[in-house]
Amino acid sequence: MAGTRGGSTAQHRTAEALRLFAVSKTYGEASTQVTALDNVSLTLPSGTFTAVMGPSGSGKSTLLQCAAGLDRPTRGHVLVAGAEMTGDDETALTKFRREHVGFIFQHFNLLPTLTVLQNVMLPMRLARRKVDRAYCETILQRVGLSGRLDHLPAELSGGQQQRVAIARTLVSRPSVIFADEPTGALDTRSAREVLALLQEAVRTFGQTVVMVTHDPVAASYADAVLFLADGRIVGRMTHPTAEAVAERMTHLGDAVAERHAIAVV
Amino acid sequence: MFALALRSLRRRAGAFTATFLAIFLGAAILMAFASLLDTSLGKGVPSANRETLVTMANVVGGWGLLIVIFAVASTLTLSVRQRGTELALLKSIGATPAQIRRMIVGESAVVAVIAAASAIPLALLAGHGLFAMLVDTHQIAPNVEYTFGPIAISMGLGITFVAATAAAMLAARRATRVRAAEAMIEATTEPGRMTKKRIATACVFLALGVYLAVLTVTAMRGKATDAMSTAGSADGLAAIGFALLGPALIRKVIAIAAVPLERLGGASGHLAVENLRRRSDQMATALMPIILFTGISIGTLCMQSTENAVTAAAGVAKTADQKNIETLNLVVIAMIALFAAIMLINTLVAATTHRRREFGQQRLAGATPVQVLRVVALESTVLTATGVLFGAAASLFTSIAYSSARADTLLPDSGVGIFLGMVALAVVLTFTASIGTARRTIRTPAIDAVAA
Repeated sequence: MAGTRGGSTAQHRTAEALRLFAVSKTYGEASTQVTALDNVSLTLPSGTFTAVMGPSGSGKSTLLQCAAGLDRPTRGHVLVAGAEMTGDDETALTKFRREHVGFIFQHFNLLPTLTVLQNVMLPMRLARRKVDRAYCETILQRVGLSGRLDHLPAELSGGQQQRVAIARTLVSRPSVIFADEPTGALDTRSAREVLALLQEAVRTFGQTVVMVTHDPVAASYADAVLFLADGRIVGRMTHPTAEAVAERMTHLGDAVAERHAIAVV
Repeated sequence: MFALALRSLRRRAGAFTATFLAIFLGAAILMAFASLLDTSLGKGVPSANRETLVTMANVVGGWGLLIVIFAVASTLTLSVRQRGTELALLKSIGATPAQIRRMIVGESAVVAVIAAASAIPLALLAGHGLFAMLVDTHQIAPNVEYTFGPIAISMGLGITFVAATAAAMLAARRATRVRAAEAMIEATTEPGRMTKKRIATACVFLALGVYLAVLTVTAMRGKATDAMSTAGSADGLAAIGFALLGPALIRKVIAIAAVPLERLGGASGHLAVENLRRRSDQMATALMPIILFTGISIGTLCMQSTENAVTAAAGVAKTADQKNIETLNLVVIAMIALFAAIMLINTLVAATTHRRREFGQQRLAGATPVQVLRVVALESTVLTATGVLFGAAASLFTSIAYSSARADTLLPDSGVGIFLGMVALAVVLTFTASIGTARRTIRTPAIDAVAA
């Protein structure tokens, strides 16, 4: 089974997209130390859609940032598509991310002076890869923006901007797409469209998506949900429904207390 | 709203540094020269000395006034534009346009008073130095006493206050004209069109420059150094005219430079081109001091160089009058060069620091730190080239006019050397300020930069 602690190998023959091995992240000096991630290990096969949930302060954003190479863990290893996230300097990390990782943010982070099409083509240009304009246009058509290629981000709605961001990650075919509250700034309708697109990215394009969210409805679009509390993985749910996720979240507090009790014993 | 203005000043003093610096230095320059007027009113000042002092104060001080107003206005515009999102927020929670205007004008007024008042000690020192120089070169009798009095203080405080509030009103009016819903959009990009009023003002300055140049070659021909009174201001007026047309100039230049930039600069070149094209208004704020600096310094130095060549060719020693004028010209250059240089750094630092989020977004899209810095370097190259090109064009209004009126040649022999020297200075200033700031700015992790 994937996603267990200790980094057991996936039983399926699927290639693994992401593996965290004993990853910890602490902030601050010894006396005031805060542990954001506490010895987290997990394995995600490629072609899966995983949601990470947890109360605020549970470490879910830190988990995402460490896994995506935006932050470096204090201890442990991160492997994306079997390659260890290496590099001591920002340039090396950037090159690693270009190769393996795509991002979708709550606030889109499109370049304001570039048009929709230019934004989508930018990662290829920066990586000095051959820019496949036709492919970019096809992907933009797939996300429903074929009529907006020459618009600036500011001329689009939030939902449309997020779809541009999704297209931007899809064209570089990364090993893992990380989405940090991708529907956090959207209305219900746009949120549903964006989540359906992420699902399609997994089903049709075979992408691997890891999504941090606090919304049970958003999490229900995923194949599996990992629950995080106090910097540890405290549970896992396959074929989630919004109700079941909401229920589990409500009881997450009890689970944490229980864990603490066991730790004391 | 005035209370809000005070609070926003106190909480975020850093955001007002650029404006403060512009007003502080502007006031110092104005007061230093205005103190010569105070001095001229002293008892027992010989009438010839009085004339020297008044001329110096009026000519140089007048110049300073124009440039200070221009500089303060452009820094204020920049800082108001950078707060577009905050102003939109205020609007969305129910602040009326009039209330927002009062807040912006209130902030600027307070900054102006504090900056101008704290400039007094510096102005006193500078005025003293200026006066000592005049005495050393025997243009003023040694028994005349330097006074820093009511004219200096009232002019310094009054003019900077009026200039800052007027500039703030203009900037605030522009900021509040857009509706709340649109304001968020406006904050990131801007419609690339200049107002008719701005184009008309630019044309008036350019026409004045042409008029003075023509006057120099016609009416002032053969009138010796008197021709400087008309030729001397032509470059500055033309430079202001060009600076006002800045956004259009940038768009014109980028239309030509886009292809080579994208070919040679790769993805960085592509980003630089789109930034310059879509943010020509913001970029023009940095272009302004480059044009003023090169235009006025090259023009005036060439004029003085022509004059020196004429005197040397005639084989006569310089008269006291000629020496006077030389000092005056050099002081103008030094003052304007210093002020423009500080404005240039000021503007570039403020504008580049503000792009923190954008740099973070570029990096999250896969740009390495080097690629981000290359974007900034390419933008600076285009800005410097455009600024130097039009600055040099503005300088011709003075140098050609004076040279043909006085020496029947088009340009002085030393023209090329002066041009190269000033260009080198402009390049060093622009690149140090923009690259240095960008380098510091991208030290923040990309993910934190976009969160702010």
